[in-house]
Amino acid sequence: MIEFQNVSYTHKKGYGINNINMSIDDGAFTFLIGPTGSGKTTLMRLIYFDLIPDNGLVKVNEFLSNTMNYKTIPKARKKIGMVFQDYKLLSDRNVFENIALPLHVIGFNIKEISDRVDETLELVGLQGREKHFPYELSGGEQQRACLARAMIKEPDIILADEPTGNLDPVASFELVRLLETIHETGTTILMASHNYNLIKGRGLPIYELKDGVLRIR
Amino acid sequence: MDKFFYLVFEGVKNTWRHKMTALTAIFSLFIALYIVGLMATAGNNSYKIIQYFRSKYKIEVFFNPNISNEEAIGFIHKIKKIKGVRTATLIDKDDAVRIFNDQFGENIMDLLGYNPLPTSAVINLNKNTKTTMRVEPIIKEIRAISEIDEIRYQGNLIRKIERNYKRLADNFPYLSGIIVLIATLIIYNTIKLSVYARRETIKTLQLIGATRSFIKMPFLIEGIFLGLIAVTLVFPALFITVEGTNYLLSHFTSFNFKVGFDSLIYIWLLFLVFFISLFGSYRAASSFLK
Repeated sequence: MIEFQNVSYTHKKGYGINNINMSIDDGAFTFLIGPTGSGKTTLMRLIYFDLIPDNGLVKVNEFLSNTMNYKTIPKARKKIGMVFQDYKLLSDRNVFENIALPLHVIGFNIKEISDRVDETLELVGLQGREKHFPYELSGGEQQRACLARAMIKEPDIILADEPTGNLDPVASFELVRLLETIHETGTTILMASHNYNLIKGRGLPIYELKDGVLRIR
Repeated sequence: MDKFFYLVFEGVKNTWRHKMTALTAIFSLFIALYIVGLMATAGNNSYKIIQYFRSKYKIEVFFNPNISNEEAIGFIHKIKKIKGVRTATLIDKDDAVRIFNDQFGENIMDLLGYNPLPTSAVINLNKNTKTTMRVEPIIKEIRAISEIDEIRYQGNLIRKIERNYKRLADNFPYLSGIIVLIATLIIYNTIKLSVYARRETIKTLQLIGATRSFIKMPFLIEGIFLGLIAVTLVFPALFITVEGTNYLLSHFTSFNFKVGFDSLIYIWLLFLVFFISLFGSYRAASSFLK
């Protein structure tokens, strides 16, 4: 469950989001659209508590923005998987190590990690690529590795911030299809994009952000 | 337990992953620790050096020409009782002829027909005083003894050596403190730069839910590992330096002096690098964690 109650946040440079109310139910697949600079990333960062609102309350599962601190933030993030436009894969580690990272953070044992990574690699179509480093992969493959890293810990929520921003149309559609597959397992998904053509006609709720103000499309 | 081993392993692995950064860090650490090690060795040997020089200090006392050997022996006993005197050796007129003969290859009795050389004594000073040795009070007491015609000693040289030793001994704690501080700053900054190069990694780890301790631990292990590599290289380097110095001293100088190496310095350096690396990595990693 993600809930925003009268949430406002303003960056030092003046932009941000203004008085947002939003509710995303468990297991929902929701899109967030809006032009560049409309506040999509700010909204995402508020969900994974990288930002704390100036006003209002963000509620993610049992975590409340007004009670978050450096000890509770990692706990909240363990239940959230994140996919970024720039992938944020660790360049000094291979695909296997990158994908395994969240499991090491949680404290899985080596055998379990190995099994889970193999399964996830298969699911995202990266089998045989586990020894490759991020710079040896295409953009689409890097994004799938990023998605694998987000989903391997079986999070309650996956946040995808412009995941198709650096991908060609084919790779973009494949990625959305993968997200839909993950959604079928009951995971809540919020995907931000400025590409309306990619998400229209899927029969899924779409929020639109414009100049920091949110409306349902 | 798996998590702990993973973090330790990651720390060691990071050294290999970032070979160039690690090499730079090891080199800087090596230089800093080598200088600290040299300073410690120098400090450790400074007392031995001054003892060596003091063993060379010599006072020559010439008695009046008409003094008998028995009287001279009596005066020698008096001299030996003076504080700061280690030994006093009598050189009677016959010994003086022999020494002259040894040094110049001529018998002075044959040359002059009589022995003009006076009875004398060679006095060596106590080399084990911890404080600066002052030779003037000893000279004053010797001079007070009657029947002494002349006293010869290297007053200026002794004063200079003692003054410089005092200066070194007085300033050594400050100097070593400054060098250790500089070494600490070098080590800290080296580790900080190495952590700074991976600030994106820290950010990404935070985003996937890693706790502060999970993020810091590999950096701490890496810092300690780099420090241990550097200190391991410093050990043979110091040993070679000491042995090389001893070789040069024995083969190319007239100093009969051997630089000693205290293995406690190794242990001291090990502890130093352990704590500085730990502190440096902890501070550096913390500074990039919001």
